[in-house]
Amino acid sequence: MLDFISIAHAASEAAQAEKESGGVLGTLGINWKLFVAQLVNFSVVMWILWKFVFGPVGRKLEERRQKIDKALKDAGDIERQKTEFEAWREEEMRKTRTQAAEIVSEAQKEALSQKDKVVADTKAEQEKLAKQAREQIKSEQEKSVLEIKSQVAELVTMATEKVLKQKLDSKHDQELVKKSIESLK
Amino acid sequence: MLVALPPLAAETMFTLGSLPITNSYINTTIATLLFVLAAFFVSRGIKKYYTKSVAPKGFLNFVESIVEVILDYCDQVTRDRKKSLQFMPIAGALFLFILVSNWMGLIPGTGSIGIWHLVHGEHELVPLFRPGNTDLNMTVAMAVLAVSSSHLLGIMAIGFFKYANKFIKLGDLWQAVKSLSPVKMLIAFIEFFVGLIEIFSEIAKMVSLSLRLYGNIFAGEVLLTVLASLIAFFVPLPFMALEILVGLIQAVVFSMLTLVYLNMATMEAHGGHDAEHEAAAGH
Repeated sequence: MLDFISIAHAASEAAQAEKESGGVLGTLGINWKLFVAQLVNFSVVMWILWKFVFGPVGRKLEERRQKIDKALKDAGDIERQKTEFEAWREEEMRKTRTQAAEIVSEAQKEALSQKDKVVADTKAEQEKLAKQAREQIKSEQEKSVLEIKSQVAELVTMATEKVLKQKLDSKHDQELVKKSIESLK
Repeated sequence: MLVALPPLAAETMFTLGSLPITNSYINTTIATLLFVLAAFFVSRGIKKYYTKSVAPKGFLNFVESIVEVILDYCDQVTRDRKKSLQFMPIAGALFLFILVSNWMGLIPGTGSIGIWHLVHGEHELVPLFRPGNTDLNMTVAMAVLAVSSSHLLGIMAIGFFKYANKFIKLGDLWQAVKSLSPVKMLIAFIEFFVGLIEIFSEIAKMVSLSLRLYGNIFAGEVLLTVLASLIAFFVPLPFMALEILVGLIQAVVFSMLTLVYLNMATMEAHGGHDAEHEAAAGH
């Protein structure tokens, strides 16, 4: 019941308003002065929000987004570089290790060969020395034998001379002496 | 007892010079002042935090979260951050202003605090406050601003003649005549009239935007008034909750449509002879 009354009331009022201003626009309350006033109101809101809120905050948000993007990209780059470096380091270490092993084995080989050489040299030297000593001893011996021989011969000669001077002074004796000397030889 | 339904038009409270100050105008002015105040705090926060590049706190943080959501919505429509930043001030201002003035209409006192006036020979309580968007002047003003800014940005983005060619397709018609192909000429002739219809569709955009918002919010106000006068307690509560939702949805609809209009206006006309020429040049 109340609804009907109110609707009727509103309808009559609307009709009256239409009569006053004429046309549907008037009924709906369109008034160019109010329109301009509302336009100004909203323009003020829009301008202020643009100038003080959306402009600076939007720029800041965009700046921040770019900064985050860049930071993430940098972090990825650093991570990649790190793994690359790690791999490089591993490779280098491996190389170094093999090189070191090579050097050590080389040195060992060298030392062994050096040792062999030294030993051989020493042996040769020793042998040479021994040989020299032996030769010397031999020559020394020969010399002394010769000397002894000559001395003995002299002694024998002297002794024989003495003996002969005393009792034999013949050709026969001399022959004998010669024979005996020869047998000494 | 009569149920004083809110009339279709906002009621004049007093006149300032020759400008009639209506109850809706009072509401939108309060909303405007609120935005001025908010912008003041935001710009103070910006001075405090952005210049020193410190992480923002408090109110500015809250505003940033809202701006980010609006920017994301703009991105969904434009798929281009540069365009989004360009359109956000328009679409965002529409969204926030419509939302705030719709929700302000739900504050107790709106529609109930008033002055006894003599209207059409009857004493009536004329409310001092009336939701801003129940005044068609307001919604038309916003729609006109939204649609005309889409035209302005469209001209700025693709140039005046290219933009004019979307509506008065003389350029396309001339291209077709030059090509001497009767099929192309026929298509261009039909498209010329389609372009003329587009002009009417631009007017229809404004009418539909403004009337949709006005109708929804006004209907909500009438519904709440009727329910409150039938049963004053508890029964109107679910409807109030619905009105909160309607206020949000209408704000989203208005700003999203504006965003779509802006996006369409700043895009080059797709298809047509230009594209064919480019394709031919490419081969």
